[in-house]
Amino acid sequence: MGWRIEKRPAVSARMPGWVFPASFGFAIAVGACIFAVLGVNPLTAYGVMLKGAFGSFFHFSEVIVRAIPLMLTGLAVALAATMLLWNIGCEGQLVWGGICAAGAGLFLAPHLPPFLVLPVTIAAGAAGGALWALIPGVLKAFLAVNEILSSLLLNYIAIIVMEHLYFGPWRNPEGYGFPGTAQLAEAARIPHFFGTRIHLGLVLALILAVVLFAALRYSRWGYRVRAIGLNPQAARYAGFRIKGQIIGVMLLSGALAGLAGMAEVSGIHFRLQQGLAVGYGYDGIIVAWLARLNPLAVPIVALLLGTLIVGGEQLQAVLHLPASISMVLEAVLLFGLLLSEALARYRLVRRPAAKDAPTTQGEAPS
Amino acid sequence: MTVSVPPVLTLNSLSKRFGDVYANRAVSWTLQAGRIYALLGENGAGKSTLMSILSGRYQPDSGGIQLKGRPVHFQSPAQALEMGIGMVYQRFMLVDSLTVTENILLRGGPIHLRANQDIRHIRELAERYGLAVKPEMTVRDLSMGERQRVEILKLLHRRADILIFDEPTAVLTHTEIEGLFAVFRRLRAEGKTIIFITHKLEEVMAVADDIAVMRRGRMVSQLPADKVRSRHDLARLMVGREVILNVDKPPVTVGDPVMTASGLTGPAGTSRPAFQDIDFDVRRGEIFTITGVAGNGQEALVAALAGLAPLDGGTVTFGNHTYSAARWRQRPASGMAYIPEDRDRTGSIGAFSLVENYILTQLNAFGRSFLVDRHQAEQKTAEAVARFQIRGGGILGPAGHLSGGNLQKLILARELSRRPDLLIAEQPTQGLDVQATEDVWQALLRQRKTSAVLMVTGDLKEALSLSDRIAVMFRGRILDIVSARDTADIDRIKLLMAGIEAH
Repeated sequence: MGWRIEKRPAVSARMPGWVFPASFGFAIAVGACIFAVLGVNPLTAYGVMLKGAFGSFFHFSEVIVRAIPLMLTGLAVALAATMLLWNIGCEGQLVWGGICAAGAGLFLAPHLPPFLVLPVTIAAGAAGGALWALIPGVLKAFLAVNEILSSLLLNYIAIIVMEHLYFGPWRNPEGYGFPGTAQLAEAARIPHFFGTRIHLGLVLALILAVVLFAALRYSRWGYRVRAIGLNPQAARYAGFRIKGQIIGVMLLSGALAGLAGMAEVSGIHFRLQQGLAVGYGYDGIIVAWLARLNPLAVPIVALLLGTLIVGGEQLQAVLHLPASISMVLEAVLLFGLLLSEALARYRLVRRPAAKDAPTTQGEAPS
Repeated sequence: MTVSVPPVLTLNSLSKRFGDVYANRAVSWTLQAGRIYALLGENGAGKSTLMSILSGRYQPDSGGIQLKGRPVHFQSPAQALEMGIGMVYQRFMLVDSLTVTENILLRGGPIHLRANQDIRHIRELAERYGLAVKPEMTVRDLSMGERQRVEILKLLHRRADILIFDEPTAVLTHTEIEGLFAVFRRLRAEGKTIIFITHKLEEVMAVADDIAVMRRGRMVSQLPADKVRSRHDLARLMVGREVILNVDKPPVTVGDPVMTASGLTGPAGTSRPAFQDIDFDVRRGEIFTITGVAGNGQEALVAALAGLAPLDGGTVTFGNHTYSAARWRQRPASGMAYIPEDRDRTGSIGAFSLVENYILTQLNAFGRSFLVDRHQAEQKTAEAVARFQIRGGGILGPAGHLSGGNLQKLILARELSRRPDLLIAEQPTQGLDVQATEDVWQALLRQRKTSAVLMVTGDLKEALSLSDRIAVMFRGRILDIVSARDTADIDRIKLLMAGIEAH
């Protein structure tokens, strides 16, 4: 008797229920091994992480603060990927969202009536991200340039532009030489809740997740997006304007990432400075995939990743472990998911050993 | 006499299940060397699964295979081929950019570098079996018939004794089919065993020694071909009841032209344009058919007419408007419905439900607002499912689970519901079983009462049964348009398909 792995015949669109818990368990187990190698009792380490993330209301509020930009970039990636577009450029779009929000808050706000300052700041953030995403969108639609490369490479340009601005023309003249712009006026800051750093971005992200879910599922636009993603050839046959859809979806995806940048600038830093491009754009890819591109699952996964990030920082502070440990855990989690997803397509079957397994000596006719 | 000869291949009670569905249930079959077996059955009867087991692609859940008296278990097609069983799939497994020789030598694992010896072997085989194909040609430039010959050579070069063909004639022209059957007979003379899946009863009568019929996963009958007296006998075996093969063609008054094409020319690629100087009109009340050997420009012409590919020259008059070649693609999309040849990859989206597929080409008819009118979509789909007797799962189940015939009926229902002035049907019954073919034919005949129908088919019988006029394409041009009512023209059509313009 022997075991063999066999491909499941029916490929179901739905992931079996055990896949996510299994990949999460896998990540925990591998993480435990890493802690053991670093000479830390895994139980202690996970205890510190849990306490750091959920130990108090304040700690948990920090998890939410981290999750907000992840929700928005996760939605951005999930929307694009539903149409088979790989928006790897959320980091750059987030940065442009931050630049435009800061620009609006610093330079437009003084000329605007107070009630318009915040809406304009938010809109500027979304527009900044959208326009940056328009570049790979147009290149893809009209010149068939691979959007993975173009959107990724544009990230570096966006970061350099941002640095140029806060090191140069936009640097705060009263900042004692520190790199960064002046602080945003109160009117250009988004509101906070419960006396914590949790800000309006959370409400925005949750509403957008629901809206995006409903739009993809129930609207004619969403139907086209899903059809193009599943079968571009059939979509072309149906007469959908694929170029227009690519540009539209990239604009929306970029706007979502731009909102993340706006929320960071206008809700956390209150200025454009170092620390805006810390990888939320790339983490959004992980969030989108762990959520299986389902917008409703994005906020939940973002919270999970936020927990990892905050917990990881506690490991650094309490146990003096490298901060990158949370990135390692994130990576293991993603690999675990990819692995279980691949495994879900196969099954283990028991069968008698093939005694007459053919040998390389063929039965060639003489 | 046959009793004393040990069988070359024995299948003992093979079963294969996919989920809850038995694709094969206790299938037993004994095959002798040097015979041609036709395997028949409706779509979804389990023929392809059985052949996939034989060729090593699937492993049976239970039961066994004996090859020349020895039990064998194939883990892969490569192993099956090593043991002498090879399969020619309906979609050829060739690398377009490689030459014939390279394709034949291509295999997993190390390739032995003795090309000259191999080429000599390939030439020898080609000569011995009458498989005319130039070894140095690139596969991309070959016709479907030639590609099939390459596939056969590939198996023979690997010393296969049992050759399995999945609907080998589906992509061939009349002449090519006869050529293939000649090859079958030569293979048989050399002691090879041939199994071919087919839906076409006349092919069975023409070439098979033995007939095996499957129905719903079981082997329901096996008999020598000479025991079958008529095509009706076979049809009855396949579907379990009498089917009409003669098509009732109610007369319809032919009206005004709906579409007139003048001087249509396709874009010149690397060589000559796929089609040139195409002139025809299609009138309300008729089925106008474009036929020809696959690869003579019909595919590109249909794609251009449907607006999926550009036109380079000429004009199209549709309804009351005349469009130049360049502007044809920008015309309003209404008035024309199109049933594409590839129903799985172009005509439908497998992961979408029946309802979602039903609205694919008529999204604007379902809801005026931002939202899809799901209620209306579900209601219309349910009506279509009932009217066209589409079986296989509920309307919210994925269309990918439908059999070919049911999927085609869904696409047909969808396109007809758009109330087109012109219906374009491309290879509408390719690969369908007798019953589904009948249903589609009846629907097309009904449709010509209200609109013009432009059919593109390589199946001469289909063209003759349904059409009012038939245009024959050869090397990108329409050689002639003949009336299908005149039986004397039938032989001429065959000649025209081969490019012979004799009168």
